[in-house]
Amino acid sequence: MKKTFKILSAVLIFGTANSCDNFVDVELPNSQLSSPAVFADVATANAAMTEIYSKMRDNGMLSGGPAGMSCGMGLYADELDFYGDSVNDSFFFHNNSLIASNNTVASYWNAAYSQIYGANAVMEGLAASNELPVAVKDVLLGEALFSRALVHFYLVNLYGDIPYVTTTDYQLNSTVQRISTAQAYANIRQDLEHAALLLPQDYSVGTRIRPNRSCARALLARLALYTGAWDEASNHASAVLNNTEYVLEGDLDAVFLKESRSTLWQFGTTAEGRNTDDAQNYIFTAGPPPFVGLNLGLVALFGPDDLRGSHWIGTVTDGTGTWHYANKYKQRENTGSSVEYTVVLRMEEQYLIRAEARAWQGDLIGAKEDLDAIRLRAGLPPTAADSAEEIIAAVQLQRRLEFFTEFGHRFFDLKRTGAIDTVLGLAKAGWNPTDKLFPLPLTELNANPYLQPQNPGY
Amino acid sequence: MKIFSLLGYRHLLSYLIYFSLFLCIPLSHAAAIDDRSDQDRDITVSGFVTFQKMPMQGVSIIAKGSGSSAISDADGRYSLTVRIGEVLVVSFIGFKTIEHPVSGLSSISFELEEAVTALNEVTVNAGYYTVKESQRTGSIAKVSSKDIEKQPVTNFLASIQGRMAGVSVTQESGVAGGGFAIQIRGINSLRRDGNAPLYVIDGVPYSSDPIGSAQTSTVLPNLTSPLTNINPADIESIEILKDADATAIYGSRGANGVVLVTTKKGKAGKTRFSASAASGWGHVTRYMDLMDTQQYLSMRRQAFENDGITEYPADAYDVNGTWDPSRYTDWQKELYGGTSQIRSFQSSVSGGSEHTQFLISGNYHSETTVFPGDFLYRKGDVHFNISHASDDRRFKASLSGSYTSQNNRQPWSDLTPVAITLAPNAPSLYDAAGNLNWENGTFTNPLGALAAGYGTKSGNLVSNMLLSYRLLEGLEFKSSFGFTDLNFTETRTMPSTMYDPAFGVTSASSSLFFNNVQRQSWIVEPQLNYQRAFGRVKTELLLGTTFQNQTGARLVERGFGFASNSLIHNLAAANIHIVYGNEQSVYRYQAFFGRVNLNWEDKYILNATARRDGSSRFGPGRQFATFGAIGAAWVFSKEDGLKDNATFLSFGKLRASYGTTGNDQIGDYQYLDTYSLSGHSYQGMGGLEPTRLFNPNFGWESNTKAEMALETGFLDDRIFLTTAYYTNRSSNQLVGLPLPGTTGFNSLQANLDATVENSGLEMTLRTTNIKGRDFNWTTSFNISFLKNRLVSFPGLESSPYANQYVIGQSVNIRKLFQSTGVDPQTGLYGFTDFNGDGVISAPDDRQVTRDLSPEYFGGLQNSFSYKGLAIDFLFQFVKQQNYSSATVLGFPGAPSNNASEVSHSWQQPGDNAPFQQFSTGLNGDAVVAFYNYLESDRAITDASYIRLKNVAITYELPKKWTGVLGCKLSVQGQNLLLFTKYRGADPEFVSSGFLPPLRVITAGIQLTL
Repeated sequence: MKKTFKILSAVLIFGTANSCDNFVDVELPNSQLSSPAVFADVATANAAMTEIYSKMRDNGMLSGGPAGMSCGMGLYADELDFYGDSVNDSFFFHNNSLIASNNTVASYWNAAYSQIYGANAVMEGLAASNELPVAVKDVLLGEALFSRALVHFYLVNLYGDIPYVTTTDYQLNSTVQRISTAQAYANIRQDLEHAALLLPQDYSVGTRIRPNRSCARALLARLALYTGAWDEASNHASAVLNNTEYVLEGDLDAVFLKESRSTLWQFGTTAEGRNTDDAQNYIFTAGPPPFVGLNLGLVALFGPDDLRGSHWIGTVTDGTGTWHYANKYKQRENTGSSVEYTVVLRMEEQYLIRAEARAWQGDLIGAKEDLDAIRLRAGLPPTAADSAEEIIAAVQLQRRLEFFTEFGHRFFDLKRTGAIDTVLGLAKAGWNPTDKLFPLPLTELNANPYLQPQNPGY
Repeated sequence: MKIFSLLGYRHLLSYLIYFSLFLCIPLSHAAAIDDRSDQDRDITVSGFVTFQKMPMQGVSIIAKGSGSSAISDADGRYSLTVRIGEVLVVSFIGFKTIEHPVSGLSSISFELEEAVTALNEVTVNAGYYTVKESQRTGSIAKVSSKDIEKQPVTNFLASIQGRMAGVSVTQESGVAGGGFAIQIRGINSLRRDGNAPLYVIDGVPYSSDPIGSAQTSTVLPNLTSPLTNINPADIESIEILKDADATAIYGSRGANGVVLVTTKKGKAGKTRFSASAASGWGHVTRYMDLMDTQQYLSMRRQAFENDGITEYPADAYDVNGTWDPSRYTDWQKELYGGTSQIRSFQSSVSGGSEHTQFLISGNYHSETTVFPGDFLYRKGDVHFNISHASDDRRFKASLSGSYTSQNNRQPWSDLTPVAITLAPNAPSLYDAAGNLNWENGTFTNPLGALAAGYGTKSGNLVSNMLLSYRLLEGLEFKSSFGFTDLNFTETRTMPSTMYDPAFGVTSASSSLFFNNVQRQSWIVEPQLNYQRAFGRVKTELLLGTTFQNQTGARLVERGFGFASNSLIHNLAAANIHIVYGNEQSVYRYQAFFGRVNLNWEDKYILNATARRDGSSRFGPGRQFATFGAIGAAWVFSKEDGLKDNATFLSFGKLRASYGTTGNDQIGDYQYLDTYSLSGHSYQGMGGLEPTRLFNPNFGWESNTKAEMALETGFLDDRIFLTTAYYTNRSSNQLVGLPLPGTTGFNSLQANLDATVENSGLEMTLRTTNIKGRDFNWTTSFNISFLKNRLVSFPGLESSPYANQYVIGQSVNIRKLFQSTGVDPQTGLYGFTDFNGDGVISAPDDRQVTRDLSPEYFGGLQNSFSYKGLAIDFLFQFVKQQNYSSATVLGFPGAPSNNASEVSHSWQQPGDNAPFQQFSTGLNGDAVVAFYNYLESDRAITDASYIRLKNVAITYELPKKWTGVLGCKLSVQGQNLLLFTKYRGADPEFVSSGFLPPLRVITAGIQLTL
């Protein structure tokens, strides 16, 4: 019997000791891929890049739903009126009473840096990869640089001085400091210029859902416009406008279709048959609006001849009132195959950038030409503006009429031209001069003491 | 043998060796038995077992030594064959054990005596071993079926509320299927989700990781927990292991305590049938005191006036005349004031011979909701147990299993937040034709949400087989084989009919969210047990090893767009099908453990336990760690000086323990640098996203626990007092280090060089106040004081926690603004400007701290019995602070209802008012001041309460009326009365604004045969 016990304990100890070296080693789950494996294959490397576009489309500043900038900054400025519940974040956007703990303020920030992380991870993955062809690496690197620049660009314009993040290293990123807006612009410019060198002239896929070189230059043109570098703005815009790929759509109803020839870059949908979040967000069929409606002051600016008023604005009337909605995107429901994609960059902006830049440069004829391209397409006669000041003012008006509910153009234009306090001070009861900048998210200030101080007014 | 196939060939081999050994032992030993010299003569002994001259059935009579045994029958008769000189041990729960030597008489009868000192005879389950209450060295709290059965609850965690010292249980939601938060001796880990105890059901670890998904668990404050699968009616006892001595044998998983659930087992004796049925009602315990229409409208009108708006905007439907200003609805009563109908049925059959016992039982429970609409929660369960012992009682086998099926249908969201914020003059829910009323698009009808549904279906199996064989006198080999299988489906349906038809939303926009979770685990734990007395020292040795494997799979999908809403439950009918996630995970765990227990005449007891653990959750080279503890007890009442002389002191024990445990609750694969499918698609391909910020270098969190306790019994243990003091320190904190968003993520798994200490005092007092032939009265009281403290945190100032914690204070503090009340001039809330920069801003001005941990909590139970009538009361109390109801109510002045006290707002300069001036939201300063107020010390109020937690009245009909049939009638109530100064709804919540716990009253009947 003692013998049995001895054998038993020997086996028990030996058996378990033998198996312990590997029992708790587990293999990678089949739902995950190691980072080197992702960047060893063209398809998976592309999937890592396109995920950043999906994230932009679905979360944070560039998303088309109620929380995105198109709607949020429309409310924050004077494009949209709010009809929903007071517990909704949009209520505070509309009243210009944001506080540092506002969820949307935090979600813009967090989603943006998550997208930037994705871009940096792609750059680092590409750098470490020996398997991918150089041509593929170049295009993906260009796209990652472009994405990083784009997201930082909007962050600077909303939050002021921000950290410019160029690595995935959390130890650096968790104690990162803010840099001046000028420095951030310089970084954005550097990334975009690098991207313009790497990105192809053509689109890798037909539907213009991946950015190309023109997109980088279009953003460079906007950057130059925001910083008053008129020569540069004019040159970059010309580079885009000279590309014969892009044509102004004569039919206003075709501008936001996914085949639109004036589109530089648009977000693909998550599934075939889906359309835009924008259409779902803005369109309503009975009044009063369930969530937001177009501001009456804005609607009144569209003259009777302005075709945009009838093609891009929808109207609902019942016995008691009339309400308007943005009708640029018309497909609320799914369709057999997708009809509309959210357009992020389109050539109309380049015309108006060049018009403004030329006016500042003194090329008034050229400026009027560009301005009229947009006016004529809207069914308006050529501009009557004569002086540079008048032309610049006319361009601002066209920007307001052309780009309403598109990624906060109105707010950023008021800000860069210095008109914001005068205009919004009149239009918005809750406006304060410190509202030009968002507060830094409270969670962020708590988590990274180096981000202090908070923006003024919060 | 399915278990073994899961292991792969490598492990299969070692298991085959174990298993074949296991099978060989009985054979090899059978030969040994034959060699035994037969020096004593066998005789047959028979007789009767009685209590107060009445026959006692089911009493066990075991011969010490040969192990031969018998069970008394219905007449109290027993018979067994023993050797002369052996000692018969006669035992029955609740009675004193009798030991009687066999001298040669063939007829021996026993008269049982009720055990007044029952407590010390009780054995408690310590997981891998059992120990007598009087001899235990560790801290173990126990609630038995006797108390569980008195409570009309569906979640077993509810049944221990207020009954265990050191165990704080908080109900998260009153919605059926909602979860409970449990904390055993405070918060150990800085990670909010790293404080769950280990749950072990009949020896099988049961993962409490949530199974719900954020896409689908929308009606509950937290993700759906799998713990609802455990049926309280199946439970024989719940033991909670608290200190190092008790938990160190669970090593890396014992840091937050261990909850042991032991299910009911069959008992030998005549076959016993039992059937019971109960039916009852549930209601909300308490409503909030909200504004009526007059108060509300006056708030709104004043808000516009304060903001300088004279003409009400078109969308201010509540004040501009669109809605009837004279209308009043109590939305709380309307939207969650209904009655939940509760029914439950149970039946069981148990019995068996002295060698084989069995139990089979079935349960069914259903409850409707307090929300309007047709919603139902159903839970059915079968439980079985078979135990067998060979003739010589050397080989024992036991198989237990429970299968629980749940089906829950609820509205997609909890209506409570709407009910407390909806304007009191909002229009009626239905129009004259009986359809949902949307008041021409001006009213978001809350009942629209009822069209959208939350549904769960789950099947859960927990089974365990235990085989043991006594190799030698005192040496036993045993192994448990456990298996769990959980299959869970949770859906959320969002049909277009939940919206105002005027919006023109069609079924092409309807959605189905679908979350399917499968979780399987197996565990094999071979063990050797050795018991022997060396002179006056009784020794117990335990050696064992654990292999555990858990696999999980989760699929989260969405179907979008349906041809018709009637197809919404069918994912295949969706126009667009999106897969959000399809994850698989494997968790492997291995350990060696051991225990040595030395017992010197039941007077000096030393208990040492150790465990070496390996977990797949850590990176290579960091998978293993060792934990251990030592416990000692001195039963001083057995000292010669006290034993005979002290008539007052009947029992006295001093015990102490010290040791370490660990915590591996960090989720799987956290050390890997990977990409996973995001569930988003672009350009027709699924996106890949970085799964996490990875850190390959994190290791175990360690938790050092020390405890000292005094257990004293007076007057024959009629007064029994246990006082324990403990200090637990968790260091090398394994945390999801919260990171700023600039890192791209919220957190990173890392070890943090911080130490958190929980110390506390726990007292349990049990008294037998009156003990008579017919009338008995016992009282139990427990109270726990606890103090949580962040002991050290090098580099706190420059860490992400700088604005969250303060060294020397609890880790459950909130750093807040200091309110200076309403400024009489501006009419806005004012705060102390700590940094003197003229602006109130976070984090610099949030310098006041409030601790949200309970200061003390406990329960007081009184049980009375008179003949067949038993009455039981339990009061539960908690002393704590928490956020006031202002945090769930809207901004005062906005179109959202508010507490009626808020009417006392500031009106004009010079006013000293408790609440600031109203605004519609246009006054930016007022908005900022209000949100600062919600994060100020004024938003934290006393949330202490005393609750009449449970009342149970049971009447057992006299036998002379019912004959052989036993009949018990009972009325049970849960959460009956609430005494509190808290001004919100119910002060028991984890996140406020959800349906509070319900008051439940049921009446039932139980028949036994």
